[in-house]
Parts: sequence; C-alpha cells; structure tokens
Amino acid sequence: MSAVSVAPSTPLPAVTKVPFGRLLLVEWRKMTDTRAGRALLIISAGMLLLFMGIVVLVAALNDNFSIGLSAWSSILTIPLSLLTPVLAIMIVTQEWGQRTNMVTFSLEPSRLRVMAAKLVAVVAFALALIVVALLCGIVGNALAAAVGGYDASWSIDGQALGWGIAQQLLYFVSAFGIAMCLLSTPFSIVVVYVDQLLLPLMVWSTLYFIFDWAADVIPFIDMGYAMSPFSGAGAMMPDGSQLPDPGTQEVLALICSIVLWVVVPVALGAYRVLKSEVK
Amino acid sequence: MIKVEGLTRVYGTFTAVDDVSFTAEAGKVTGFLGPNGAGKSTTMRIMVGLTNPTRGRATIDGSLYADLPNPGRHVGVLLDASAQHDGRTGREVLTLAAMTMGLPKSRVDEMLELVSLTPSEAKRRIKNYSLGMKQRLGIAHALIGDPKVLILDEPANGLDPAGIRWMRGLLKEYADRGGTVLLSSHLLHEVEQIADELILIGNGRIVAEGTKDTILASQGTAGQSLVTSLDNEALTVALKAKGYSVEPVGTGMRVSAAPAEVGRAALESNVVLTDLRDGGAGLEDIFLQLTAETQRENVAQIHAEGVSA
Repeated sequence: MSAVSVAPSTPLPAVTKVPFGRLLLVEWRKMTDTRAGRALLIISAGMLLLFMGIVVLVAALNDNFSIGLSAWSSILTIPLSLLTPVLAIMIVTQEWGQRTNMVTFSLEPSRLRVMAAKLVAVVAFALALIVVALLCGIVGNALAAAVGGYDASWSIDGQALGWGIAQQLLYFVSAFGIAMCLLSTPFSIVVVYVDQLLLPLMVWSTLYFIFDWAADVIPFIDMGYAMSPFSGAGAMMPDGSQLPDPGTQEVLALICSIVLWVVVPVALGAYRVLKSEVK
Repeated sequence: MIKVEGLTRVYGTFTAVDDVSFTAEAGKVTGFLGPNGAGKSTTMRIMVGLTNPTRGRATIDGSLYADLPNPGRHVGVLLDASAQHDGRTGREVLTLAAMTMGLPKSRVDEMLELVSLTPSEAKRRIKNYSLGMKQRLGIAHALIGDPKVLILDEPANGLDPAGIRWMRGLLKEYADRGGTVLLSSHLLHEVEQIADELILIGNGRIVAEGTKDTILASQGTAGQSLVTSLDNEALTVALKAKGYSVEPVGTGMRVSAAPAEVGRAALESNVVLTDLRDGGAGLEDIFLQLTAETQRENVAQIHAEGVSA
C-alpha cells in the first residue's frame, strides 16, 4: 500500500510567497467548481435569456411597441441585480459554512489578502456578467426590431449606463461587506435583499408618497435613491416630481449612503474576519 | 521543529490551554495525547495561526506560522478532514491546494496514488466520502507541498485497521527522512506504537512528556505482578512469608513484588505457575490517572473497580 513514496517524484518549484494573482485564480475557480456555484451561473444565464425572450415576445405581439438599446440595458440589469449579490455573499460565507476557511487561511495566513482576492475575483465576475448582459441587450435589440418590424434604436445614454453599472457594483461590494459581517449565507441573503430590494420598493417608496421629509432623508440612507439624481433616472421618482439637479445635498446624500452601506460593512466585516477564531 | 512556549488561551473564565510548552523535534514523531476537550485542537490551531493565543507563542523552525512564505510548502496541516466543501470532488480539493502553492498538476495525481484514492473515487464529491476517505484526502492535502513539518489532528480517526497501519508506515518514513511530525489523538494505542515522544495533556496542561519508558519510570509503578498458579493458597503463604502483600484478583492474585521474586517464591515452594506477568501500570493506566480530572467519566474509580473485580 505504501509502495508509493512521500517524496515528490520530481523536484517541486522553489518556495516563494504566494503571489496575489494565484490567490485570485484560486478564488475565481472556487466560484464555479461547486454545484451551487454552477447552478447560480446557469440560473443567471437562464434569467437573462428569459427576460430577453419576454421583451422580444412583447415586441412581436404588440404593433405599437418599440424599444431602444437604453431600455434593454436597464431591463437586463434586473436579473443581474437579483442574483449577483448572492455570488458576492457566497464567496465569503461558503468558507465559513463549509469550514474550508481552515484550509484557506492555513495556506495563506494573511486573511486580508485572501478577502481582497475574493473581492477582486467576484467584482471581475460581476463585470463579466454585466458585459454579457449588454451583449444580450444588443442581440435582443436587433431581434426585437426584426420581429417587431421597426428600426432598431442604438442610442444609449452613457451617463445612465455608467451610473447603472456603478450602482450594481456598489450593491455588490455592499453585499460582500454584509456577508463578512454576518458570515452566514441565509442571514446575509435576507439582510441584503431587505436592504437592496424590499426597503426601496415597499418602504421607502411609501414613505416618499406620504411624508415631505422622506425626500430629504431617504437618499441619505438608501444608495438607489441617492444615485437617482445623478443617473438621470429621476423621471422614475415615485412621487412624479421633477428631477432635481444634483447639488451639495445630493452629493452629501450619495457619500453618506455609500459610507453607510459599503464602507461601514466592509470595514466591520474585515475586522471580524481578521479577529475571529477559525474553527 | 515545532517549539511551543508558554502557550495560553483563555475563553472568558475558561482556560482551554494553560501555559503549555514543548518541542516537537525533527526526525521524530511526537504524539499529542489527551482526552476530548483537553486543549489539543486549540493548541494546534494556535500553531497554524487560526486562533490567537492569549499569551505565549508557537514557532515552526524558528518563525511564526504567519511569517512563513507559502506556508503550505513548509507545514502540512490536517486539522479536520470534514472541513472540506461537500460539493467539491476530492481531486478538485487537491487541485485548489496545488494551485495556491504553485505546484504542478502532476502532484495531484501523485498524492491521490499515495493515499490510495482511485481515479473514480477522486471524481466523487466529498459529500459521498466516508470519514476514512476524507481522512486519506486530508493526509494527501497535508503532504502535497512536500512540507518539512506535519501537524495532524486525529488523523487516524475513521481509518480502518489497514489504513491505520498504512498511515503509521507513512509517518514513520516521513520522520525518517528528517521531517517533524506532531499528531494528536485521544486513543493511546494509536499513538503508542508510532510516536517516539509523547506529550500527555489534560485540562489544558501538560501532565507528562517524554518517551514511553521515561513516562512509565517517572510514575514509579514498577514492582507489581499478576500471578495465577495451580495452588494459590500455598503460594500466598510463601509470598506473605517473604513480606509481600497479596490480594486475590479474579482467578489469580496481585502481588507487591516484581515477577522474578514471585517466580522464585513459587520455585522454592514447588508451586506450578500458569500465568505470571508484570502487574505494573501500563501507559494507559498512567494516561487515565493523569488526566482523570478532565475525563467525562470518573475513570479513576471505574479503573479501581476493574482491577479489584
């Protein structure tokens, strides 16, 4: 049984510090080498195709319907904003849930380097998904125009697109920070969905309608509301009010909401990961 | 070489590891023995930087674990074979380790072969692994970087007898090549046969250390015999005449004399012996005795009853 020797058959490479690039590749691989990770990717792809299909179907069935690339890009960010936070959460919490952190942190004792590699890997992943979504938008746009019998509109609002992507990424990093604070998959998913979906859609919008002060306060505590004056999505304001020009207050609100939902969770989470006992 | 100096870890009012100091030397297998909850795993976690010590420090060949460049290449660690992602295959687990350490992919196959995991087993998810298979994978994971030091927490757990024998040979070979091996266990028999040095821990403190012989000698339990003969009454009389105490144990007797003395008494009184052996406490008795306070059951008492029964 022990005919095979412990010693390596060929000399192994010299021992050097683990370079960051290698950690990055390992973390990238960890996102896709489990059934859960692969399922999430397949669901993301499926959702993108489903949304595309629905819009193309509407274009085919409705004679008066036409849609431009700008609208496509905002439609296709919906499935991404629904699913990608789970990726950001899982890359962190999985290590604690499955206790692989014992292995990960014994192979690279600098926990901050590991977490940084995770963050870069998962942000790169999110950007790749956004690019895929945009490509889907281009294909969908051509397809919808063809089946709907109208000329495709290829104009796209660069500012809105840029802010849209920035918002996705900020939500993403926020989810990553919350996951580091809680170190539990279900808790983190609940907190992130309540913060990023439930509160803006159900609570803030209601308060917006009822109270005058809400319009002043909510942007300070919600990133989506804080960003809308900048992204030009003001026409979607729930109370139908005119889009305010971004002034000092809007900038302050944006900074405050980012500090609250991105900087604070990431800082607290990093502290917890650094100090906690791995067992 | 692993050097632990004054290591202490306190949780609230509970001291899990209490001023532990020892050295595990290169070229030797050091057994770390203690009952459940004695502080073995906590000590090992501190060694590899997963738990911060309250006081003291542990160094590996002179440096803190966190200061080792590419620690997987220097120290092979197996703390918990079950701490692997259920959804990954065995091969994938080793591949991730090889990637992190910057090793060629061929090393993965080499390790799978070493621990006798077949290609089809390596393709299965960890979820479907038995504890013994996980343990083999964990040993492969610890050895993949060809480290100089091995830290293994309960590595024999879940291995079948053949597997335990295989692991013994493997660790022996590893130590003979000059490697340092520290392995923990709560099972004495497992460690007794392979460890050159033993460290007994109970209640977070070291209660005894050294080779098997020095521990036995230090506890001074020599000079006891267990004897059975065809004429116990006559032998008892002969032994008592020489001033030894005799007490019946089962079908035989326990005598406060070395076996040679008992044999001489039997010869002189023409009694036929059917069984004569050293009745001194074995390592297990000492182990149980020294760690009695930390045992969950009152083994000292059970043991006393067992002997007198």
